[in-house]
Amino acid sequence: MTDKLAPGIITPEEILLTEQALSFALSHGADSARLTLNKSLLDLVAMRDGELDRVSHSLDRSLQLSLFADGRFGTFSINRLESKALEEFILDALGTLKLLAPDPLRSLPSPERTAKDAVTGLELDLYDPAYAEMDPSKRKALAEKSTVWARKASLEDGFTVISEEEEYSDSVFDTLLIDSVGTRCRHTETSFEIACDLTVQDPSGARYNAVWWDARPFLRDLDIDGVAEKAVRKAAEAIGPLPCGGGRMSVVVDTECASKLVTPLLNALGGFALQQKNSFMDSTLGLKVLGDNVTILDRPRSAGETGSRLFDSEGVATEEVPVIDGGVVKRYFLTTWTAAKLSMEPTCDDCIRPCIAPTGGCRDLEEILADVGEGILITGFNGGNSNTSTGEYSFGIEGFLFKNGRRVHPVREMVMTGDFRTLWNNLTHACSDARECQAKQIPTLAFKNVEISG
Amino acid sequence: MVRPAGSYLELFGVSSGTLERLVAEGLSRGGDYSDLYFENTSYLTLLLRDGQVSSGGRHVDFGVGIRVLKGDKTGYAYSETTALPDMLSAARAASAIADGAAASVALHASKSPAPVPDRYPILSEDAEGLADFMERIEKGIFAKEQRTVKVMVSLSFERSDMLMFNSLHEMVCDTALMAAVAVTAVFAQGDRVENNTFSRSRRMGTEMFSDALVEEMVEGTVKGIDERFDARRPKGGKMSVVMGAGASGILLHEAMGHAFEADFARKGQSIFTGRTGERICPAGITIVDDGTIPTERGSLNYDDEGIPGQRTVMVEDGILRSFLHDRVSARHFGVAPTGNGRRESFRYMPLPRMRSTYMESGDADPGSLIAEVRKGVYVDNFSNGQVKIGEGDFTFYVKSGFLIEDGRLTAPVKDINIIGNGPAALADIRGVGNDLLIDGSAWTCGKEQSVPVSCGIPTVLIGSLTVGGE
Repeated sequence: MTDKLAPGIITPEEILLTEQALSFALSHGADSARLTLNKSLLDLVAMRDGELDRVSHSLDRSLQLSLFADGRFGTFSINRLESKALEEFILDALGTLKLLAPDPLRSLPSPERTAKDAVTGLELDLYDPAYAEMDPSKRKALAEKSTVWARKASLEDGFTVISEEEEYSDSVFDTLLIDSVGTRCRHTETSFEIACDLTVQDPSGARYNAVWWDARPFLRDLDIDGVAEKAVRKAAEAIGPLPCGGGRMSVVVDTECASKLVTPLLNALGGFALQQKNSFMDSTLGLKVLGDNVTILDRPRSAGETGSRLFDSEGVATEEVPVIDGGVVKRYFLTTWTAAKLSMEPTCDDCIRPCIAPTGGCRDLEEILADVGEGILITGFNGGNSNTSTGEYSFGIEGFLFKNGRRVHPVREMVMTGDFRTLWNNLTHACSDARECQAKQIPTLAFKNVEISG
Repeated sequence: MVRPAGSYLELFGVSSGTLERLVAEGLSRGGDYSDLYFENTSYLTLLLRDGQVSSGGRHVDFGVGIRVLKGDKTGYAYSETTALPDMLSAARAASAIADGAAASVALHASKSPAPVPDRYPILSEDAEGLADFMERIEKGIFAKEQRTVKVMVSLSFERSDMLMFNSLHEMVCDTALMAAVAVTAVFAQGDRVENNTFSRSRRMGTEMFSDALVEEMVEGTVKGIDERFDARRPKGGKMSVVMGAGASGILLHEAMGHAFEADFARKGQSIFTGRTGERICPAGITIVDDGTIPTERGSLNYDDEGIPGQRTVMVEDGILRSFLHDRVSARHFGVAPTGNGRRESFRYMPLPRMRSTYMESGDADPGSLIAEVRKGVYVDNFSNGQVKIGEGDFTFYVKSGFLIEDGRLTAPVKDINIIGNGPAALADIRGVGNDLLIDGSAWTCGKEQSVPVSCGIPTVLIGSLTVGGE
């Protein structure tokens, strides 16, 4: 293990080993191949009730091999990065390919589609030089700084903080992707994270739990001081829930949890679901199927922004493109293989960094509440799922009943049901308050005419 | 399957002396307990799409995790090589949880592992014929159900060799298998599309992939598809819920089981904290977490701290008897570990985790429980659930079931949530059927780490839960 590491923690020796593994595979039966070396280093310090509880140190390496031989294709991985073990593994992998049926549509992406600008791994400005200065004592000091246990009495007002856990962690991720037609991509980023998981108890003995977190590529931007106090406030606000009946009503979905309503929509635009006819967005490319005010962009090349990537899992260059534009579906996410299966043009394997365009003229949550007037403010989802074929969903929700733009009382044990295409035709507001720490830039959203029961 | 310790030492390239040196390094800054967890896991995956098994792969994960305890505090690090300098470096990183001089820890003479019955003997690891097995499932589904549009079959077979050693000088070795097969099928009727998933998993070798399992996979995948096309969402609200035997056990796992895990009790987060010996649900209800059922997905010869797998009664006749302990929580509460210290891999420190969790059979006829209900739902097919440990609030997504009207199953329902509070639901159980069934699906619990589990339940009537619908 090496504890002091320069930007890009993949060593020259590991790069050479990866290149040798590619050559070995090609010289022992592979027609083409792609190798991806992932390496990460993570240190974590956890506090419980104001005292040190856990420390951990994790150094991970994994070599993923996509091998093409005799028309067959397989994916393999190993973390034993020693020449002999690796060569034995590659020979075994090539033998395993013989278990599989040929698939003539499997191939590497054409070289003109792959990223040419991910050379050093630092192009997206996601590496913080301050990472190299971190040591165990600094990590412990940051974790201790985040806790409110020693002064919790000053925060308690009609409740007691009965449990507080914080986790501070910092990490560096480094990826090298090479293939047999000359693709070579690198991505390096640091991440600093703080999370607080806190439980309060009211005088009746009822417990309320809340989580607050922050994560940034740069330590200087991390909100260490505020995380526990925000968790206390969030838990305390949930005290005393009352039933509020149900029916069709407007809902406002806080930015903290709004991605729950976006991810299934984006998954339905993915080649995996589309190719298996298991998508409620099948045959919608180029069609207007969502509301006029629904615009979702993929913005994966935004320097310094959490979640940005210059290349996907195949090494294909990412693009800043509209996914949904004014309700019209503009993009499916198709790998080389799924595109060939669907006789369509390949794109990228996923929506890397989705951003929702503002609509409705409100800047933040309070403005939306005032504009909508009455309904349910959803601050958290508790379970639930959706049917990938039909788009029907059912989610447990918690939050607040609001009237005249003001929160009236907390609600929980309620359920929101419907289908996604109808929901996204009923979008009324999307503001611009997505937190910078979120890879998915989903702001506070509001929808009308949503079925709620509870 | 447990083989001689020597073969495990050879596999990991270490000696007894190396093990002792590593735990000593772990204790060098004042820790009071240290343990090592060596793991070599290899697995095969195969995927059938569009009628052919045309993708798959093999994967290898190798390393050692080193843990140091100082009271309730934990230091953890791991190495992906068993080269001595790398392992010593990891031990030093883990030792940092303590911040003083080496503690005086008496090392005892080496102990043989406690003998346990072998719950997963290795009969076959042969991969030949697996593609044919998958193709027969696909063909069977198309032949059985004319509305089939797509079938995807995934298969995995995993073998893990483990060596555990600790500062109490205990050494335990084990080899565990896991075989799993899952189907996702899409069906179309006119312009309507529905899907269904079905899986089976056991701690067995590749002999699990038998002719009988082909039939079971086909039947399980197409079962209830007529009802799914006819199903509607019911009108939501509070109503009685009858949980069908088997897969409804996921509710027991999520809504109640996690609250019995002693790490939550140690942190004061569990709703059952401090209630050992108290009545928490009606008499006649007994809830068990069992690691001893042969070849069950949640079974263990030893847990991942070297404690023998065992059967733990959490609730006996309505009284809370025991939490589920790892070594840390057991030491905290002054009780014996219950063999629930489990981890996803050497990369993770063990935590109290469930194994095969079930409610024992009661004495009610299942049909009589349905007959008691004037208005409610019967549910037997869940896709997932979630619980908030602190509050006990749970939500479950129900793939399919039926309305109950005047004591009879009537219209099929689908894609709904049931939502409630674990302790309240437990206290509101009105009847327990005599038909305990442990579900054979590939359940995986995701509490911080992923571990395979099993769950089961007899038919159970709960007085009132919130059902989400139109």
